[in-house]
Amino acid sequence: MLGYIWQYFYTSFFRFWLKWILRQVTGKCELQRICSGYKQGAPRTSRAEYSLESSKSKALRSAVSVDEDQVEKCVVAIMQEKNIHSQKDPTFKANLRVCIFQITGYKKLYNSVENLRKEVFDSENKAHEDMLLKLWNLLKPSVKLESRITKQWGDVGFQGDDPKTDFRGMGMLGLTNLVFFSERYTDLSQQVLSHSNHPKLGYSYAIVGINLTEMAYSLLKAGTLKPHFYNGVLGVPHLEHFHQLYCYLAYEFDKFWMEEEPTSIMEFNQYREKFQEKVKKLLEQPDVSLSLRELSDQ
Amino acid sequence: MGLLTILKKMKRKEREMRLLMLGLDNAGKTTIMKKFNGEDVSTISPTLGFNIKTLEHRGFKLNIWDVGGQKSLRSYWRNYFESTDGLVWVVDSADKLRLEDCRRELSALLLEERLAGATLLVFANKQDLPGALSKDAIREALALDDIKTHHWCIIGCSAMTGENLLTGVDWLLDDIAAQIFTAD
Repeated sequence: MLGYIWQYFYTSFFRFWLKWILRQVTGKCELQRICSGYKQGAPRTSRAEYSLESSKSKALRSAVSVDEDQVEKCVVAIMQEKNIHSQKDPTFKANLRVCIFQITGYKKLYNSVENLRKEVFDSENKAHEDMLLKLWNLLKPSVKLESRITKQWGDVGFQGDDPKTDFRGMGMLGLTNLVFFSERYTDLSQQVLSHSNHPKLGYSYAIVGINLTEMAYSLLKAGTLKPHFYNGVLGVPHLEHFHQLYCYLAYEFDKFWMEEEPTSIMEFNQYREKFQEKVKKLLEQPDVSLSLRELSDQ
Repeated sequence: MGLLTILKKMKRKEREMRLLMLGLDNAGKTTIMKKFNGEDVSTISPTLGFNIKTLEHRGFKLNIWDVGGQKSLRSYWRNYFESTDGLVWVVDSADKLRLEDCRRELSALLLEERLAGATLLVFANKQDLPGALSKDAIREALALDDIKTHHWCIIGCSAMTGENLLTGVDWLLDDIAAQIFTAD
């Protein structure tokens, strides 16, 4: 309750005067102070995002949802509005540009991810079918698939004879994630797959993968992944960066599961929660970057 | 503690029901549970293990257990039988190829001693799909009319649209309540 009252007074009253006083003392506006006072990445971009979103000026507020080709124009408009001169603050323009690319890029990334998720796996679509077979060949290069509908799919952790019903609400996003992991980190994905066949600690590789796609998707949607992308991608993040994050989750979850030694697969949801909490904790650190790149085997 | 509080407490306990939701994989168990609870059903992934949800409906406290249906998980179903008041068997009405599988699994369940007192509700789900069999066709395919050991009812429904979910759950609650309260 006290927190709410404080927040109300802060946003509607104190913040304004605090900014005004600081502006008089330093001779710089809030955005300038953020751009010069905080490290590039999440510490700077998250603050700039908050500052832009809560601004009274329309030019500043609209900056968080501007199109990629309009960013330059938008930066100029902000500098005009705030009366900032490039001669006096030579790094400001470039810094703010990066911030806006990152902020608007995150939103665009969510849209691309959402579109791929909404694309339902369709066995009539040759591109979808080819991708599914590609997944098999990446995971089981030495075993031939006997037919399209076969019990063999169970060996890579699908539920039944035909994987098409397993992608559910994650659609082609789930399949794309699985293929990306196996293609980019072939050795690591083989290692994870062999763990998933462990006699005691085994789990369904593909189904767990699809559940982890859901985890990545919901973290993205909630905005929880912002610090990760702001630190890791100094510009506009693309689908590939989302797939990279999935690889991190797939590899780390397997490690977590093997270390925790659950008594059976029936405890999956509890451990999934626990793992997600762990990831969220990491995402609270200002310099977080959840990356598998150092481990890259290619 | 006064007598009244004890009575109230007992009553509250009585009004709690345990529902167990089973069926083959991709039948729509999780979607039914989420839809019934008013949650988003567009981003569901296959269930590994189980989900449990407690919700209030018509003054009853419902503990709903939704257990994964894939073949390798079915041997774990038995761990969830204890003190089940209602069994909800979910069928994908469009999955004609596995109806025989579906019948076999259900009839095996009905032989279970720990489920002997439970009321059976069969949801003929996915009625919104163009190729779905009617609830009467499902009733025949699963040989429901041969069931003499349990109270049962079949309802055609769609978890995606929410159609008839309430009708089914209401029938189940009425039947369980009638058994619990007349037995006293």
